[in-house]
Formats: sequence, C-alpha cells, structure tokens
Amino acid sequence: MAQVARMMKQSVTPDFKESVSQTAASVVGVSKFFGKTVVLENISFDVAEGEALVLLGASGSGKTTILRIIAGLEQPYTGKIMLHGKDVTELPARERGVGVIFQSYALFPKMTVEKNIGYGLRIRKRSRKQIKQTVNELLSLVQLEEHRKKYPSQLSGGQQQRVAIARTLAYKPEVLLFDEPFGALDAQTRVHLRREIRALLRKVNVPAIFITHDQEEALELGDRIAVIRLGHIDQIGTPSEVYNNPATEYVATFLGAANILEGTIHNGHVEVGSVQIPARIDVAKFSEGQSVKLIFRPEDVSVSKTQTLPSGHACLLSGIVEEISFVGAYERLRIRLDPGGSAACDAGDTPYYLTTETPESQTAKPIIATRPKPESMATKLRQGDRVFIGLTSFTILPSDSRASPGPDSSK
Amino acid sequence: MRHVRGFDVARPLSIGMLVFMMLPLVFLPLASIFIFGTSNGLGNFWAALTAPEAIFALKLSMATSFWATLFNVLFGLFAAYVLSRYNFLGRNALIVTISLPTAIPTAVAGFALLLLWGPYGTLGRFLRPQGIQIMFTAGAIILANIFVTFPLAFGVIKPVFDTMSRSLEEASATIGATRVQTFWHVTLPSLRGAIVSGALLTFARAVGEFGSTILVSGNLAGRTQTAPLYIFAKFNEGQIEAANAIAIVLALFSFLIFSVLFFARDWLDVD
Repeated sequence: MAQVARMMKQSVTPDFKESVSQTAASVVGVSKFFGKTVVLENISFDVAEGEALVLLGASGSGKTTILRIIAGLEQPYTGKIMLHGKDVTELPARERGVGVIFQSYALFPKMTVEKNIGYGLRIRKRSRKQIKQTVNELLSLVQLEEHRKKYPSQLSGGQQQRVAIARTLAYKPEVLLFDEPFGALDAQTRVHLRREIRALLRKVNVPAIFITHDQEEALELGDRIAVIRLGHIDQIGTPSEVYNNPATEYVATFLGAANILEGTIHNGHVEVGSVQIPARIDVAKFSEGQSVKLIFRPEDVSVSKTQTLPSGHACLLSGIVEEISFVGAYERLRIRLDPGGSAACDAGDTPYYLTTETPESQTAKPIIATRPKPESMATKLRQGDRVFIGLTSFTILPSDSRASPGPDSSK
Repeated sequence: MRHVRGFDVARPLSIGMLVFMMLPLVFLPLASIFIFGTSNGLGNFWAALTAPEAIFALKLSMATSFWATLFNVLFGLFAAYVLSRYNFLGRNALIVTISLPTAIPTAVAGFALLLLWGPYGTLGRFLRPQGIQIMFTAGAIILANIFVTFPLAFGVIKPVFDTMSRSLEEASATIGATRVQTFWHVTLPSLRGAIVSGALLTFARAVGEFGSTILVSGNLAGRTQTAPLYIFAKFNEGQIEAANAIAIVLALFSFLIFSVLFFARDWLDVD
C-alpha cells in the first residue's frame, strides 16, 4: 500500500520533467546474435526518471529483443542493463522488478481482475490486508472497480490492458516495458488508449519504454524516440528533433513522408541539379563536391503561383502540378520539377542561385507537397498549373548516410 | 422423399435408423447385463455383489487403477512439460515411444512385463535371490495398468501445454514469481481440465484392463484377482450370476465416468 501511496504522492508533482535528470534505466553497449545473424549491435541509451522512451522500428529491427533483454527474458551477448544504477544483467527476470505489458496482455485467464492485480503481492507474501488495499487503490487508478470480479475474457481490449498495467504497478516496477501495446486494437481505440496511458504514466511517474512500428504512435507517446534499424539506433531524440532533423534518410522516411533530392556540395551551397540552395549547414562536415541528399517534408514545401515566396523560404525551383489529391485534413500535390531550372523566384531576403550548367535528370523527378485547407482554399491550383516552390526547412545528409549515423545519435 | 411444409422427413428417419443400428451393437448387450443380472431377484444380485471375493476384486481394481492413474497423470504432466518446453534431439522419438503402449496388444504388454520382472526375467532373476517378487502381486497389476494407460493422460495434457501462450509464464516471471510459483499459480490452473479428463480416461481404462492383468497377476482369487478377472473366472466356473453382478457395477462405473467427461466438458475447459 505504501508503494501506491508513494506513487500517488509523486503524481502531485506538477511537472514530471523536473526529475528527468535522474537515470532510471540504462542499456549499455548491448549486442545480441542469433547464430550468425546480428540482431542488436552495440545498443546504448538511457531512460530518465518519469520519461517515456519509444523504440520505433520496422518488424525485424530488433526492438522487441531489446525489450526482452531489459526484462531479463533474454540474455545479451555483450553489454549490460542498469536499473537505477544497479547492474542487473546477471539477474533473472523475477528479480529485476521490471513491469512488462505484453502485446497480448498475458493476463492470467483463471484469475479475476483483482487476483491478477494482486498476484505480484501474493507471491511476495504480503499480508492479505495490504494486498486488498493496494488492489483497491490500483482498481480505482485504472477505473476498473466495477469489473474486479470479472475474468480477463469478459473484458474489452482496453480494459485488459489497464489490468495488465495495474498488475505491474502493484509491485512498483523500476521501469514499465510496453511491447506493441496497441497492436491488437482497432484504430480508434488505439488513439484513445494511448492518450489514456500517457496520462496514467504521468500520474504514476514510472519511466516507460514503448515498442512500436507506428510512427504516429511514437510521436505522440514518446518524450524521446529511438529509431531502430537492423539492430542499430539510427537516431535518438525528442519527437521534434527526430522528425525535423532526421539523422539518416531512413529516419526521415520512416517517420512520415519525405522528399529526397540528390545534390552536391558546391561553394558552401547545396547544388540540386542547376539550383543552388544556401545551406544553413556546417560546411565543415561536408567536403567540396561531396554528394548529399536534400531531405524535406511535404508540409515544408510552399507553393506559389507567383515568383514571390514568403520570406524565409529557400527557393527551390519551378514545376508543374501533376496531380492534386484531397486527403481529408489537407491537400496533396505532386509536382514535377522543371528540368531546366529556369525559374527565378523572388524569395524575400533569402538569396538563391542558379547555375547555367546542364540540368541533371534529378530535377525532373516529382516531389510531394501538402497544403493546409485555408491555403488550398485561398489559392486554388489545378493540374498543369506552373508553380514556384520554396522550402521552409530541409535537412542535408551525406549520400552514404546509411553507413554513418547522424551527429545526434550520441545523445 | 416428400418434403412437407416445415417438416423434414429425413430427420426422424435418419435418427431412427441410427438408433436401430446401435440396438444390437451397443444397447442390447448392455441391457442384457442388467436383465440377466437381476432376473433371479434383487436379493440374489445383492448376495453375488457382496460376496467377499467380489468385494475384494472391486477394491483391488479401484486401488490398482488409482495408483496407476496417479502415476500416469504426474508423469504425463512432467513429460508434457518437458516435451513442449524444450526442443532437443530425439524429442519426436520420445513422443512416439510414450504413445506406443496403446498400440501394443495388452496381452503382449503383460507378456513383456513377465519377461522383464518374472522370476526368470531380465531383471527379475536378480531380484529373486533378494526375495523380491514383483510379478503375481498387486504391484504387478499396477505396473501393467501403468503400461497400458501410459500415454492417455499425456495425450490430453500435451496439446494444452502446446497451445498455452509462453507469455503467461513470462509475465509471471517478470512479476517476480519463481518457476515453482509460476507452475502452481499460472500453468497448473490452465491445465485443470486436461488433468481431470486425463485422469478419468486413465482410470476408466485401467479399471477395465484384462489382457495384461491376467498374465501378470496370476489371477489368484482374493489376492490378485481384479474385477474383470473375477468376471472371467466366475463365467468359466459357470457362476453367471456372480459374474453378472460385477459386470453391472463395471458397466455403471464406466458409464458414470464418460458422463462426467461429456457433460462436464464446459467446466473442464472453463476459460
């Protein structure tokens, strides 16, 4: 009961981020092989007290294996797991005090809701009274008081998930691990539940690690996101860092849509085809003539019928609207860039450069732009319209970004 | 066949045919046990039933079947656990071997036990000088029962183990339970139905065992004579009534067990 009481007290803390500096869990240099296949290679990250970290990756990326290694259900080949400063690598799962919420919830089918929640305390031989009190507190925390006598099979997916969470909170876990927590639910319930869980986690202030392949889920759930690819962490950072400054092409394309144009570094600028874009990049990172990729999101593209682009927009090129599709919340345009780079746009204080070199085929490929409703209402576009294109923001990565993770990955 | 509105003629006809076919094959043989057994009055029936040798035979059957069932359920649990949790070389060979005893004729099973444990058997010859005699005792009957019912409980329990989600046990471990606690609180409750039905099947089969028992028990009235052996012996002596009384008890008993298995299915598999 004291545990829950403590949790409740912590929940009164107005800003849970105050305690972020303290490390709750660390994964240090963990590697894992299945036979000769590398599943994880030198994975390291920390989870701060009260923080929610999302491990985002496609299936087969190794994210589930990381979770199982933290829980003690699998052993790493190298590296260690630290929980609140204590090395638990050699400890079996039952001695780690980690709460795992399995994808299937793994509720005990022959136990009622309250028996499930009290299980951790029963096997710890707590007194009957103490168990009852903790179970009552947790039942009210997850709002399942009226379902206490039911069996898991009589509950909805969301209710089962809350029982699974309460069952782990009963023994005050060092960290909560969620394995694809919303995978088995329909889209609407999913959105609703992840907000509920986010609120619950803030209340109880237990650090959490989520595993998902859903980028939208990752952006909404995580205080930070680690993008995992083929057993590597490509990038780890806040949702806005990862989304706006992707460290690799993979991160850029995995988290939402991205346009990618190939270019080269020339005189401190990025040259895409015949257009030079002033790069706000540390030129020292790139060498003259190095081939790079210019990456920008569809919503970073501003489209104008005139040569005047809003100030602050790097002018890219002109192009022809090839296709307009209505996608509900916004309008999506497919624009084929002019091969010649003949456009000269007046982009306020942002200078642009045109070269007279032969245009490369690169510029003839289509890019995707999205426009919010007000804008698409104000300036109606039609197929075949000639437009001028600017970029509000973009990322430049070396073309071989697959090999070298971005500078942010050390965080 | 004519189809009258709302009335399918094929239905009563096919049901009737089914019952008619089962009549000489199942119903009448069973009925005749009861008809003959009580034809000389209930008093005679009761006297035959309560004859000391008859009581002894019934008790012996129950006791030997009980111990064989207990062993085979525990063994079946253990074997199912090992064979569904671990993958190893020879795993399939072991599964086939466990299942083998049901395929072997019971007389062959009894004969094999005699060759092993009998006074001049492979192992028995070394026990004889020690004064240990296994064959022709109640122990031999238990051994025979164990042998012929070996795979029954295993066969019911293993599929449940196989389909049981590993994550339940993993969840229990992460919550802090030891393997023993996990087995007791999580695994075992899910196996309850399988254990009960496995036990009932094993017991029913063991109580009725004849072929192997007659070889290994020695068929000594009042000492190693089980109920089926008693029926056989009394029939050979021409004491049809004595045989019949026990036959009724055994028939009712198996009827009871299969009723439980059938009607308590929901309770046994309750989720």
